[in-house]
Amino acid sequence: MRTVFRFLVAVTATVGIDNFSDAENIDLSTVPARNAVQLTIYNSEDITLVRETRVVTFKKGSNPLQFSWANTLIDPSSVELRFLTSADKLEVADTTFPHDKPQMLYWNVRSEMEGEATIQITYFTSGITWSSDYVVIADKDEARLDIDGFVRVTNNSGEEYENAQIRLVVGTINLVEKIAQLAKVPVGEVKDMDGAKLGLMRREVLAESIDRSASGGAANAACMPAAAEKAIVKEGLSEYFIYSIEGTETIPNGWSKRMRSFAGKGVPMKVEYRYRPKEYGDQLVRLYLMTNNEESKLGTTPLPDGMVRLFRSNGRGGLSYLTQQVTKYVPIGDKIELNLGADPNVVFELKKVRMSREKLWMQLHGKNTFQEVGVDTTETEQNSTVVGWDDRWEYQQQIRNYTAMPIDLEVRRSFDGDTVFRSRLEPTQFDYQTVQFTTQVPAGEKKELAYEVVQHQGRNAKQTHVTIEAADVKSPR
Amino acid sequence: MWADLSRVGRIWRRTKRRLIPAIAFSAMLATRNADARVKLITLPVRERVEIQLDNPNATLVEEERVVPLVKGENQVDFSWANTQIDPDTIVFRVIGSAEEKKSEINVVAVSYPPNEASLAWTIGASDACSARVRISYLLGNLTKSFAYRAVASRDEKHLTLSQYMRVDNLANEEFSQSDVYAGFGPTFQKPIGLNETKEILVDKFEGVPVEKIYSCNPQESDYLDRAQNKLRVPMHYVLTNDAAHKLGNAALPYGKVRMFIEGAAGSAQAGTAFLGEDWGKFTPKDGEMRLYLGVTQDVVVKRTIEKSEFKRVTGNLFNHDIVVKYEIENFKKEPVTLNVAENLTYLRNEIHGNTSREVDYELHNDTTFEGGPDPEHSRADQLEFHAKLPAADGEGKAEKIVHRLHLTLKNEW
Repeated sequence: MRTVFRFLVAVTATVGIDNFSDAENIDLSTVPARNAVQLTIYNSEDITLVRETRVVTFKKGSNPLQFSWANTLIDPSSVELRFLTSADKLEVADTTFPHDKPQMLYWNVRSEMEGEATIQITYFTSGITWSSDYVVIADKDEARLDIDGFVRVTNNSGEEYENAQIRLVVGTINLVEKIAQLAKVPVGEVKDMDGAKLGLMRREVLAESIDRSASGGAANAACMPAAAEKAIVKEGLSEYFIYSIEGTETIPNGWSKRMRSFAGKGVPMKVEYRYRPKEYGDQLVRLYLMTNNEESKLGTTPLPDGMVRLFRSNGRGGLSYLTQQVTKYVPIGDKIELNLGADPNVVFELKKVRMSREKLWMQLHGKNTFQEVGVDTTETEQNSTVVGWDDRWEYQQQIRNYTAMPIDLEVRRSFDGDTVFRSRLEPTQFDYQTVQFTTQVPAGEKKELAYEVVQHQGRNAKQTHVTIEAADVKSPR
Repeated sequence: MWADLSRVGRIWRRTKRRLIPAIAFSAMLATRNADARVKLITLPVRERVEIQLDNPNATLVEEERVVPLVKGENQVDFSWANTQIDPDTIVFRVIGSAEEKKSEINVVAVSYPPNEASLAWTIGASDACSARVRISYLLGNLTKSFAYRAVASRDEKHLTLSQYMRVDNLANEEFSQSDVYAGFGPTFQKPIGLNETKEILVDKFEGVPVEKIYSCNPQESDYLDRAQNKLRVPMHYVLTNDAAHKLGNAALPYGKVRMFIEGAAGSAQAGTAFLGEDWGKFTPKDGEMRLYLGVTQDVVVKRTIEKSEFKRVTGNLFNHDIVVKYEIENFKKEPVTLNVAENLTYLRNEIHGNTSREVDYELHNDTTFEGGPDPEHSRADQLEFHAKLPAADGEGKAEKIVHRLHLTLKNEW
């Protein structure tokens, strides 16, 4: 169902505005067409700002206008009428939401002139969404990659917006009520008026801020060469980033359309292996690392949340599928990390070589004199309980690299309580209980990294963090 | 226009029901008018298909087609039915112009109609040309698995190992001549029909040295006869995936291994006997693949706790002095090396009960196993020793070999 805008003439125009909905049975109306429509779509919330312009001829005096939106997801409290021309001679005298027609309103426009004026109707609708996704293709040597960013606009709003100028907002906004919920109730039944007013105010502020950037928006569709890919103009505004799609688009209800938002060719990348059980689980994972900046042939836009699909050229003209994952918003200048999961060509095993207990402390307690019944002999014994000790473990971190390239590894291990980490691995402290060390393993070679962990238990524990000590690890007894 | 594109897909599906996914091309001139009755559709055929099975969790299909394009905007429709193509994974790449012309070709946009397994690319071309394109997508229900056939020599010193890849095509799509890549080794050109399973010999390794091992570990394989303290003695073939063992080109993927042994000389192949089967775990390069053959009855191991002495150190702190005696007899006609493994946590729990502490121990010099614990196969809580057992004599009588493991479990409470 479409939104319908009617200019009520003849019979209804001559009667009072209060009567036109039910007092008369014979109506005559004209239907001014949309001249232009602009959609500003947010991806953090299910909200789209629709701004449509139409040309209407007014007569002097009262001019009733009807606006209806049956079977769409428009927030009735957000519908606004503004006059883009002759604004000083036109004003909305009152707005009526008829009680028996929930998705309709009437504006009574008082005009001091006779003639055409361009009006703008704005409202929020639900059901139009956009999302980002990325296709990344690494070269065979995993030194560089091509990254294509896409935006996909999906229209389930119930309305067809033909030849619409489309703008996409990257960033998070705050709404106090969901547009889809508001769309289902008449404006008079919106329960929480304070909340609704607040939401309206916020949306007005937002709309104004978006409005300011409208003039710098998309280019004229007529200028676009026939074979060219549409440009997507990106600009920062306040805390948001706005993508304006060149020209206009028609996305019928139920359809979605995907367009390339940027392309990075030959982006330098680095491969790193990481063992971070808190982040990646108990496995060594392989990562592609790059930076969203100009040196990396990116950095023209922050990268909105989206699915990344990762391929690698297989050297035979084809692709190998590596993985897909959802990436978080990446600001300009920040790192992009793509987790490829475990690599079967790198074996990463931790061997516990020895365990021992040392520095045992006993607590003396109670009576410690014993006598056998009927025998005149006493025995004295120190009655005591273990109350403090050190657990000592010797480990061997074994790494075998069967790839054709040297690999860089970073290992993080966390320990509870009062712990000493002893090695010659030159580790650093990542946090109070986590030790981090790095190493490089040449192609086709193995490495065994020895370290020792001493955990002070019971009364031996004096604090709750890990201490790093540079020392040779004792060889197994 | 959208309705027209959908109709293109439907026409295609009606005419080529079996050949899905389908690709249809229609020039924009023909599709502008949604009600047009006269239209021209070209149906570019698949020039080449590659099935990439290198990812353990997904199958990537790449197909190459030559698509005729007019100057300006073109609509290319891609639809599929009854197949599990993930539409979000479809990648459209222009490899080049089929006529070596330097045309500029761009994907302007992709449109997804509602409730249809199809999409439409809007392609811009600077000249009329035929573009060679590659369409890649993840396809469900086209899966692979691996299987092995191992034929041991009569003396069980070598194996002939054949590695097979089995491709199950339940994707509801037929691939007439496809390049199939397993992720290692060569690419195979094989047709894979509808609902067909294709088994492909990936590689055959001749004369692979194999070690047949006998082992006992009460924690892992329990007792054969608890009352008589007789341990179960499992047998394994051990393959080492390295060049010295004529393997090591790539990791050996997980798969079922069927094991056979050659017959007598002169009828080595004809007399092949089935030894059993086991799941071979994923074995990286240099790794060992252990294949379980069953339990031997010819190597008898009696395990007795000969000494268990509780020694209080002070208060509630104690040490535990333990001697485990192994009486071993080999009734086989050839000498055998037995791997004797003892899990110290299991031993402690068996004698003293579970204190829920990790085991601290001291191994004493009067432990009789030659060479001490094997450092490669021993770890903090498990020791593994090797016992050399002579062959039984001509009358079948076995020499009883006695070994003792003497250790102290320390600092328990």
